[in-house]
Amino acid sequence: MSEPLDVLSEALAGTDGFTELRYHDKSTRTVSVEKAKVEATGYRRRGGVGVRVLEGGRWGSASTSRLDVESVRKAAARARNAARANAGKTGEKLTELPSVELARGEFDQPGLEEAAGRTLEERIVMASELEAGMRKAGSRVSSASCSYNEIFEHKAIVTSDGARAAFRLVRPELRLQAVAERDGQLSSGFESVGATGGWDCLFRAGSGQSLAEKAARTAIDLLSARHPEGGKATVILAPSIVGLLVHEAIGHTTEADFVQAGSVAAGKLGTRVASELVTLVDSGSSEFYPGAGGTIPVDDEGVVAGRTTIIDAGILTSYLHNRQSAAKFGVTPTGNARAWEYSDEPLIRMRNTYLEPGSSTLEEMIASTEDGYLLDGPRNGQADATGEFMFAVQEARRIERGKLGELVRGVTISGIAFEVMSTVDAVSDTFRWDLGSGYCGKGQPAKVDAGGPYVRCRATIGGVQTG
Amino acid sequence: MAYTTQTRLAELSDKLLAAASAAGADQAELMAVASDSVETTIENSELHSNQANEETVVGLRVFKGGSLGFATANDDGHGGLDELVDEALAQARVMPADDNNALPEPGPVTPVARLADEGLAAWGLEDTSRVASVLLERVASADQRVRVDSGSVGRSTSTVFLASSTGIRLAERRAHVSGYMFGMAVDGDEVASSDYDGDASRDHASIEGLLADAGDRFVAKCTGGLGAGRGRSYRGAVILSPEAVGEFLLPALVQAISADNVRKGKSPLAGKVGEIIASPGITLTDDGTAAGGLASSAFDREGVAVGRRELLSGGRLNGFLFNHYEARAAGCSSTGNGAGAPSSLPSISPNRLEVDAGQEDYEQMCRPGQEQVLVGRWSGSTNPITGDFSGVVKNSFLVGPGGRRPITEVMIAGNIYTALENISAVSKQRRLLGGTRLVPALTVEDLSVTAG
Repeated sequence: MSEPLDVLSEALAGTDGFTELRYHDKSTRTVSVEKAKVEATGYRRRGGVGVRVLEGGRWGSASTSRLDVESVRKAAARARNAARANAGKTGEKLTELPSVELARGEFDQPGLEEAAGRTLEERIVMASELEAGMRKAGSRVSSASCSYNEIFEHKAIVTSDGARAAFRLVRPELRLQAVAERDGQLSSGFESVGATGGWDCLFRAGSGQSLAEKAARTAIDLLSARHPEGGKATVILAPSIVGLLVHEAIGHTTEADFVQAGSVAAGKLGTRVASELVTLVDSGSSEFYPGAGGTIPVDDEGVVAGRTTIIDAGILTSYLHNRQSAAKFGVTPTGNARAWEYSDEPLIRMRNTYLEPGSSTLEEMIASTEDGYLLDGPRNGQADATGEFMFAVQEARRIERGKLGELVRGVTISGIAFEVMSTVDAVSDTFRWDLGSGYCGKGQPAKVDAGGPYVRCRATIGGVQTG
Repeated sequence: MAYTTQTRLAELSDKLLAAASAAGADQAELMAVASDSVETTIENSELHSNQANEETVVGLRVFKGGSLGFATANDDGHGGLDELVDEALAQARVMPADDNNALPEPGPVTPVARLADEGLAAWGLEDTSRVASVLLERVASADQRVRVDSGSVGRSTSTVFLASSTGIRLAERRAHVSGYMFGMAVDGDEVASSDYDGDASRDHASIEGLLADAGDRFVAKCTGGLGAGRGRSYRGAVILSPEAVGEFLLPALVQAISADNVRKGKSPLAGKVGEIIASPGITLTDDGTAAGGLASSAFDREGVAVGRRELLSGGRLNGFLFNHYEARAAGCSSTGNGAGAPSSLPSISPNRLEVDAGQEDYEQMCRPGQEQVLVGRWSGSTNPITGDFSGVVKNSFLVGPGGRRPITEVMIAGNIYTALENISAVSKQRRLLGGTRLVPALTVEDLSVTAG
């Protein structure tokens, strides 16, 4: 098989007008272990070339699973016909894409050789030992599971206006779940990590066994936890929750396609939307330390994936753009166009989204909280156009008179993101990426990461009402 | 075209199954799906792009000495599929043996009618583009405040081929068209909660009507959230619309009755077959046999015949959902619920779920004597292991003697398994959601409602 860049470049030579050719080969290896049994291993490979053309102000797309010049040219012809099928329809036409520094070169990410050199047996042993570690952590643990994924990606992008870039990367992910049981009552503890890079990145914050023990301990402790009372509360959010909050409830509202549709961030550039302690960034790189799970050197339009400050000291300063939205807004594309697989069309997506650290220590923040909760470990979360969000929280610990107290279960938090961010009165001086095992959903999945420091603010706790 | 595609898949299957056998596999199964699709996407209330894709995806499962191996890839036309045999066998060589690892034997399979409407299979981008335009115009003319952030209208046609060394050899052609819209209402400075709606069909003659209805519902949902105010905190009854039932009550129940979760100790319903687990008004059926049904098929992911089965009768649990592996582990037969695509190992999933209609009039349920929350949509989290759930209500209202008003920043919390026992009313009207779940509205007692 020819090198993808060479095939794409040769195929491009036979096309007219704006054409974007994107080779994407993705392979995934999986191992899952549950209740002392290796449940399954798997290998999945999907690859091909996605073609996008701009014809008469309309986009047309097509794809082929075959990497050869003839197949790619045929796909380009189908894409052009597809664009023409929309030619007579009403609506604004895209006449020109903005000029931008397009990537040229090869940008392989670290960890590839280490991951590729690992045997299947090594992966099975690692997952089996972690699953066993959870079961051994306490007699109350009734079952445990460990799943490990390794995603290898090879991309090459060539456009008729000058992009010619390629890169390969690997993203390992680990998920651990322990279930504890007492008198027929069940509870669960969940830990996960994900990175772009090798196992040194995956386990940068702690060993696999420490994660296994934590999942087991959480499941056991939650057996005796009670439900909290619902209502407005002071909360200290751990980096995992901060990451989810800034991704789901703020980041999405600043994606320029959503802004154009009327999200709550529309028309707010230059205005205060959060406390002055809040600075929010989305970056294609792994800031602070290597391995963030949403790292990409180049986006799927061939634009260098840079660093965008979305909120600067509480002021909304930028939206996230692809080339089309940047043309509409008269700004430079921010490198946020991403496609999940070769046949998907690039959409505006986040990469690594984070809040900048502040100057408080976590200890100071807890000590100065009279009544509240320390929240860690998001189970999942959603937000909408208004910025209203809801996240389930695995570990919620009471804070009373400046001291950490009992663990409570079944906690969710909710609020309007910009309002909640306006109540931020303390930000810790530490930083952690903590969403690397997560996927963002927006029609297509996307690997993202998010994180930040500890943040204190006010939000609504969903809990039990007594009457 | 159908014959040609099926022949190509059969040849591919014969080649790979023979190669797996020659490489030492005791048993091998191949699933191949050849699909072609066209889609018109919508962005910011305008047509955005047209897409056309074709692909063949193959999944190979092998057993050797009781050990499992699985590999999947799309056909790159350059021999890439040949590596599947080596990959799958390499896994089987290092995986531990399991007595329950075996492929099903062939059994009688009854074809399901109208899974591939030839009128639909011929749909091209001109058709999807036209229907998307009509849909956008309908929404825009209904209410200028509604913005469609994103959406699409697409048609997909596929030929599914399944063959195994035990003698299974099945093929099915399927086609469907679907459309959806996601967006919100914007009125001056006010932005309402985002919402979505859509529908799907295997019948080209019905889709435009279905999507017109979906467009009307979408407009009502988006504008219904304008002017939303504060709710009130209480513990008591909550009315769940059919959409809310389909969004969180049914998925959690399905996880709990999936045999893999039962075997792994992750279902509180383990050991409760024959017991009452829900209110007497709840009867739940899984049906994959309806002609032209979106969730219908003659055979499941493993070639086992798909059927119709009552899972809950008057609140009593009749049994669990099984694929072949879980059935062997439990000492029973597969229920034909082996699910998935060639890109994954067979999992477990229901086909079309139907909750029996009740006696109450939905409009009457929405006019209770005491103020209650009517949940239009739910955005939250459920832990299927414990049953605990909590989340924010969307497109929701406070209803009572004084009428109804939209609410925002209201959360509900409770436990799924307790909620199933606390259902006090079931509506006689039902809605078919996404062509796969037919559900009524329910009133559930004793939930916690927290106003922000």
